Amino acid sequence: MASPLPQVLLDGLFAGGTYALMAAGMALILGVVKVINLSHGAFFTLGAYVAYALAGRGVGTPLAAAPLAAVIGFAFGVFLGKSFVNPVRSHPFALPVGTLACALLFEQAAQMVWGPHPLSVAAGAPWIGPGGLVIRRWGVIAFLSSAALLGGLKWVLSSRPGLPLRLIAEDEEIAGSLGMDVEAIRYLTFGGACAMAAAAGALLSPSGAVTPTMGRAPLLLSLVVVIVAGMDSVAAIFLLSIGLGIFGNACAWFLSPQWSYVALLATVCLLLSARPAGIVALAGRRD
Amino acid sequence: MRDAAPSRAPKVSLRGGTPPARSPWRGGGWLAAGIGLLLLFPLSSPDAFFLDVFTTGFLLAAFAASWDVVGGVSGQITLGHALPFGAAAYSCALLTSFAGWPLPLAVAAAVLLAAVVGAGIGALSAPLAGPFVALLTLALGEIAHEVAVGHTFFSGPGGYAWGGEGGIPVALPWRDASPFSSYYAALVFLCLATFGMLLFARSNSGLILRAVAGSPITAQASGVPIARFKRLAFTVGSAFAGAAGAGFVLHVGRATATDLSLELSFQAATFAAVGGRGTIVGPAVAAIVLHVLFQGLSLPPSARVLLYALTLLVTLRFFPRGVAT
Amino acid sequence: MNTLMSAEGITKSFGATKVLSGIALSVAPGEPVGLFGPNGSGKTTLVNILSGLLLPDAGTVRFDGKEITRLPLDARYRLGIARTFQIPHPYPALSVREAVRVALVPRLTTLAVNAWKRKDGGGTREDEEGPTEDLLARTGLFDQRFVPCAQLSQGCLRRLEFARALACRPKLLILDEVLSALSAADEGDLMELLRAANRDEGTAFLLVSHNPPLLKSLCRRILVLEEGRIVRERTV
Repeated sequence: MASPLPQVLLDGLFAGGTYALMAAGMALILGVVKVINLSHGAFFTLGAYVAYALAGRGVGTPLAAAPLAAVIGFAFGVFLGKSFVNPVRSHPFALPVGTLACALLFEQAAQMVWGPHPLSVAAGAPWIGPGGLVIRRWGVIAFLSSAALLGGLKWVLSSRPGLPLRLIAEDEEIAGSLGMDVEAIRYLTFGGACAMAAAAGALLSPSGAVTPTMGRAPLLLSLVVVIVAGMDSVAAIFLLSIGLGIFGNACAWFLSPQWSYVALLATVCLLLSARPAGIVALAGRRD
Repeated sequence: MRDAAPSRAPKVSLRGGTPPARSPWRGGGWLAAGIGLLLLFPLSSPDAFFLDVFTTGFLLAAFAASWDVVGGVSGQITLGHALPFGAAAYSCALLTSFAGWPLPLAVAAAVLLAAVVGAGIGALSAPLAGPFVALLTLALGEIAHEVAVGHTFFSGPGGYAWGGEGGIPVALPWRDASPFSSYYAALVFLCLATFGMLLFARSNSGLILRAVAGSPITAQASGVPIARFKRLAFTVGSAFAGAAGAGFVLHVGRATATDLSLELSFQAATFAAVGGRGTIVGPAVAAIVLHVLFQGLSLPPSARVLLYALTLLVTLRFFPRGVAT
Repeated sequence: MNTLMSAEGITKSFGATKVLSGIALSVAPGEPVGLFGPNGSGKTTLVNILSGLLLPDAGTVRFDGKEITRLPLDARYRLGIARTFQIPHPYPALSVREAVRVALVPRLTTLAVNAWKRKDGGGTREDEEGPTEDLLARTGLFDQRFVPCAQLSQGCLRRLEFARALACRPKLLILDEVLSALSAADEGDLMELLRAANRDEGTAFLLVSHNPPLLKSLCRRILVLEEGRIVRERTV
């Protein structure tokens, strides 16, 4: 058999490029709402289960599942943002513990609805590339959709419609004094970011087992990305996510799938120990 | 003598002025009544199942109170408090079953190990602020959990694979402990542990830790070495968590990966939020009430975690500062 | 001349902005010194470096003959350098008495150990409560001692800052705008407190303010800071 390395790299590239969508959502929440959303992984899982449910009804393509997952994710995200995150966002205890509670709530609900066992979403026949390289159909679709969506996000953020977001990220008081509804923009951004995570989950659902806790690893990956790459550059988030996707895939391939999760956890610990200030925007905040 | 400064306050005024808004031991009467009821409960010859539920509840209550030493009194929001609990549970199991240590020695070593683990967590998280403590402790706890789930430590006598999902049994010197003695032992342990933690929270160290939680910069400007006191909080809280973990493993008879799970850490935070962070007794009471309620209804585990999460979300939404303030 | 604290060549930049360039100053034991400068002259940065909240890019700070440039805030407090904050950050849940006790714990511990060594049945009430009550009385907070810090007025918060700073019986007090924006009564009390500490306990202080009359009435020597340099030194 040929060296597995090209295959690992390619699959990691596809997965990482899609994780970037989720990480960009995390960065958006951090920049605009200025909170760490520990329930972000649950929205990823939600997207994957939406894709699974659709596939069970004969709609196999992630291209159909992703928009539906995004709409559902947006609805839940707006609800969560408006009725929980906004009211408690200045309380240092309520936020991390509360968003974690949301994540666990969803994990348990998913387990009650779909059971704890891994489910799989049919991926469609892959193409065979040169040298026996398997080019997975879902991978191409996920990577291209994610790249297109991120390009769109970059454009929106740099143009007129993105101005309120940039302004709130920069200085909420000025944004408020200009007559912007800061609260509404916050929960809409929260919803939008959750939609991005759900879409990523739907796009990546064929890549592996769909389980209630599948969102934990992408959550940590997103955290690593925003700690290292910050919230300013979409391109940096994209590239770093690809790097981490490949790293995680390599860990999963050469060690065991479980080790890629442990490696991500260890990376979070190392990063926090090496950069105690954490994410500068949050550390510099006075409340 | 500078202490005898000329403008010393007149001693009479000690009895004047505004009295303290809340006595530190307020509610002691209710507490005594509650303990009395719990002491009487087994005499009503209840079902062994309920005795077992209460016993577990007492151990969880001690665990919740130990969370409160770190997360409530000292304001270091830890989401990895299952780590010292599980570390003590595992070392108890390993030391008795594998190394053949006598039980008391193994328990002492387990509590010590939990304290050391806590000191390590404290050292890592001391430079961090706010949500990053939560993030780091969550990651540390999850690493330990993954290792415990995935690692089959070695084969024990009789060819059983130990570790992994099945966990590791404890070699207990007794066979089939009576539910009554377990109940009373756990209750006594809970009372002693809670009293110890209350003493710590009311000591000068506890006062400094409450100051660190309230305003680290002012505490530092008052000469408090912040990092050292954060380590102290984690060490003490983890030692008590380890004691609860050792008690738990003695009751259940087996250390499993759920002793290290995120769900367990999360439960402790839930009990603390519902019972009132920083009060030590509140989280313990909340743990007993919620555990007995949810477990007594014989709900499946996932429904229980779901209810815990809902309870917590509602509490946080309507009392974001905590129910005690 | 005998010096208590001295700083040499203190330089600090934030990004491209140079805030302090080559500051040198010294304070003698028991000397009341004023630091005057307009907004943005670098006063607060200098205070933060002298008290250990910030590290300078270059330069050294010495205290009592020891170099303390890299010593953090809490260690300097234990050496006898106490500072106050322009905007107090009170402990919301602690009472005034508890807030003062936090700073007193090392002293109370010493007293308790001494009492235990005397073998007279442990700490007496005098040992336990004396220093706290003394500080509360001196700063005029005795009647508010059970009030949570979160409910204090601005004037009381400043008094509390003073009580906290005086708890270690400092050799040097660094006071950042501690007397600005206060009622006349609060200001008068605190000025008197500062004079008394200087007179009775020989506490030196570095008072930062942009109020020249106040500085002239309290200090013997005034340093004028402008654009990150000490441009004048005036003896009153």
